[in-house]
Amino acid sequence: MKAFDFVAARDARHAVALLAERTPTAKVKVLAGGTDLLADLKFAPTAHAPDVVIDISRATELKHISMTDEGLRIGALVTHTEIMASPIIRELFPALVDAAHTIGAVQTRNLGTLGGNLVTAVPSVDSGPTLVALDARVTLLGSGGQRQMPLAEFFVGPRKTALKADELLTEILIPKESVGKPTHFLKFGLRKGQALALVNVAASTWVDWDKQTFVAPRVALGAVAPKVIHATSAETFLEGRAITPDAMAEAGRLAVGDAKPISDFRASADYRRDLIAVLTRRALEAAFELARRRKS
Amino acid sequence: MTKVTLTVNGEARSASVPPEMTLLRLLREEFNLTGSKLGCDVGDCGACTVLVDGKAVNSCLMLAGQADGRDVVTIEGLATMERLHPIQKAFEEKGSLQCGFCGPGVIMSAKALLDENPDPSEEEIRDALAGNLCRCTGYTKMIEAIQAAARVEDARPTAKSA
Amino acid sequence: MDKKSAVVETGTATERARSVEEMLRAPAAAPLAPLPLEVLVPEAKQQTPAVRQRVTRPDGRLHGLGQTKYIDDFYMPGMLYAKVKRAGIASARIISIDTKEAEAMPGVVAVITGRDVPCNSFGPSLKDQPVLADTRVFYSGDGVAAVAAVTEQIATEALEKIKVEYEPLTPVLDPLLSLQLETPGVHAPNPNVYWHKVIKKGDVERGFAESYRVFEGTFRTQMVEHVPLEPHSSLATWDANGRVTIYSTLGRITLGRADLSRTLGIPMSRIRIIATVVGGNFGGKNEITTEPIVALLAKKTGRPVKCTFTRPEEFTSSTTRHPLIMEYKTGVSKQGKLLARQIRLVLDGGAYCSWSETTLGKACILSAGPYEIENLHAEAFVVYTNKTMTGAMRGFGAPQVCFAYESHMDDIAKALGIDPLEIRLMNTLKEGSLSPTSQVLHSVVVADTLKQAAERFGWNGNGSKS
Repeated sequence: MKAFDFVAARDARHAVALLAERTPTAKVKVLAGGTDLLADLKFAPTAHAPDVVIDISRATELKHISMTDEGLRIGALVTHTEIMASPIIRELFPALVDAAHTIGAVQTRNLGTLGGNLVTAVPSVDSGPTLVALDARVTLLGSGGQRQMPLAEFFVGPRKTALKADELLTEILIPKESVGKPTHFLKFGLRKGQALALVNVAASTWVDWDKQTFVAPRVALGAVAPKVIHATSAETFLEGRAITPDAMAEAGRLAVGDAKPISDFRASADYRRDLIAVLTRRALEAAFELARRRKS
Repeated sequence: MTKVTLTVNGEARSASVPPEMTLLRLLREEFNLTGSKLGCDVGDCGACTVLVDGKAVNSCLMLAGQADGRDVVTIEGLATMERLHPIQKAFEEKGSLQCGFCGPGVIMSAKALLDENPDPSEEEIRDALAGNLCRCTGYTKMIEAIQAAARVEDARPTAKSA
Repeated sequence: MDKKSAVVETGTATERARSVEEMLRAPAAAPLAPLPLEVLVPEAKQQTPAVRQRVTRPDGRLHGLGQTKYIDDFYMPGMLYAKVKRAGIASARIISIDTKEAEAMPGVVAVITGRDVPCNSFGPSLKDQPVLADTRVFYSGDGVAAVAAVTEQIATEALEKIKVEYEPLTPVLDPLLSLQLETPGVHAPNPNVYWHKVIKKGDVERGFAESYRVFEGTFRTQMVEHVPLEPHSSLATWDANGRVTIYSTLGRITLGRADLSRTLGIPMSRIRIIATVVGGNFGGKNEITTEPIVALLAKKTGRPVKCTFTRPEEFTSSTTRHPLIMEYKTGVSKQGKLLARQIRLVLDGGAYCSWSETTLGKACILSAGPYEIENLHAEAFVVYTNKTMTGAMRGFGAPQVCFAYESHMDDIAKALGIDPLEIRLMNTLKEGSLSPTSQVLHSVVVADTLKQAAERFGWNGNGSKS
């Protein structure tokens, strides 16, 4: 890689101060786990190389996983391995564990962070759909202070987020209304590991057991649009509807219309549409199954 | 230049290196530990796998500076002058390696697995090796060797390697 | 493991050798055999004693220790690192190459282009490949210049500073298009078809006329890259007497020395190539790549020079498996006996010949399949395209045609309502059968193998497994 200045930030505030200081006059990149940044830089033309790399991997205050009154707070530097091992996440959000498990391989997961995965913001981001389906919010810290926004709005387009030049993603919050919400995530890749998703689907729903209807259903799709999206037609259709196999299948068909898949060397748009319909139905079935198991 | 001080295979080592140097190149070029290999340099093949603070990582995706203060174990740190590590012995007996280039990375991933999970299922072994590509062997004998090594009781080296 | 001391002075030579072998760091080796050796020449089909013996690979020990030295593990004092600038354009005329800015970079010691190569062409059969493209670029991975620098990173950055002016030409990417005479020659004035083979046996037209049905099918296979875990690597160093030693991942030493002798313009006796354990070859390391480049850079700089491919270069600039387009026409009797077969193979021969001649020959001879066919016409062409070179890869043409003739056989079986195993057993070669090129075949076990395999995986007939 081309030479760069390397600065190790002590903590998040120090990182933000460094960003504010250097970004006006230099090309700056933030380094956490390195599994995206360093891989990108290895064969990048020197014109794209950064002048400064700010290492935030020592900001240990961003490594928390804690349940509070607001909901579940996950620090941006929590690794995918740590997500998979966390007892509270395993119990309350098994879909997050599943999603983390689909990322790369053991080595990638030991270094790669949740924050890094979200900030890189490829359309097929594997940790994105589950969190979007759970109405997650992200906290951004900048020299002007702190702000929060829905994760769905944080993603702007392919490799583009709402982060300003001097901002750092510090935390992901799953709001208390979503804590324990039955959710299921499915990824379809050409291999079981180390594969980019052709289609990602996360389905999440509460259940009105008396009426046997969907309550606050969410379907989030990845890799089939410039960013992670809500399949809003499917969600609108499911809200308050009786939970039946037909309803879930119909939701799958509607989700196809919400997506804009492309054809590339991995798969045709048609194949991806087929996948969206089937995986949405399966994710809804699994989420409902999880709901039933938890009830009993 | 960045000053890096870390523990490698039980010994304190230090070097003054350019900031953009990866842990992999630090090991290979500064410390002459060429057992870890450069197969792709982008964290896809796993030939560079080492343990950092007990966890298997792609050393090509870590900057040398990020390894400062950490505990690193490479393939050279497994055997002692008296004995092979049980995983190395099992790999030899089962004939798990052919060209051998992926070997160090696979063995390090296997070690990380057995250190945490002494009795893994075949599925767990496959998952642990998912980040290590091999073009020669088809993996079956590696899985057999790891299962055999798991059955050996004393799976940790007792003496420092030379 | 017993703790014998390193120095063993007592015992016979054999005993001393054996205890040295038992030492941990020494690689295991086969035990010494007592002399005189008994020479065993087995009969055909005779079970030899060696088969089914369990033997420990001698190299497994050092591999597992991480002590095996591959070419990129070699470092020499004063060694420089070389990188090759890749064209990035499939077909072009090179108008100019300006290396001044690269040469002026701190840390860059030398830059060479095709002009610096004494004889800028080589190849296992046709000598159509340049060491570095000089006037024409024939595929995107063609090397156009090479840099030797004190670090790999400086060498890589220096490549960006080399200015090449190209006149883009229309590339030929479709082998079927390349086959048509009207298409401008990729290597004009040489024709696009750069090798051609025909096998004729009996009379196909009469065979088709006598057939109950004639089946046709077209089958295609894709380009495949070997992806050896170890990238191509070579290291050159000259001695005081004008002899060059090259450590290389190359799998064919004498061929390499011959190619180096030709390209460097020096006698073979002055060239030494040392190949060690290779980290995967599969056919992809069967010819030289950067060896002449490192030799020239080492000569120019007076220092050892090493060049290791990046992983992307393995895909863009090393040989691959030929894609084939295979057209099959087979006439059969009502019972399913193959009476006549006509085959046309078109091999995508990439930018340079490489091992295409051998691949073509093998593919053509094997294209009929392991079946008795009285009337056969197999014709194969390999054509230039402006794509990555296609060369040797395990099978050398055999896997591709196997896909075709076996798929074709299944199609025929299905159409005739005959069990796919039965139709094969009806047609396989037997002891004493003639190959398509009239070789008398012995130790023919096709039918036995099929029957045993079918039994082992529980073939119940007509596509069902038990």
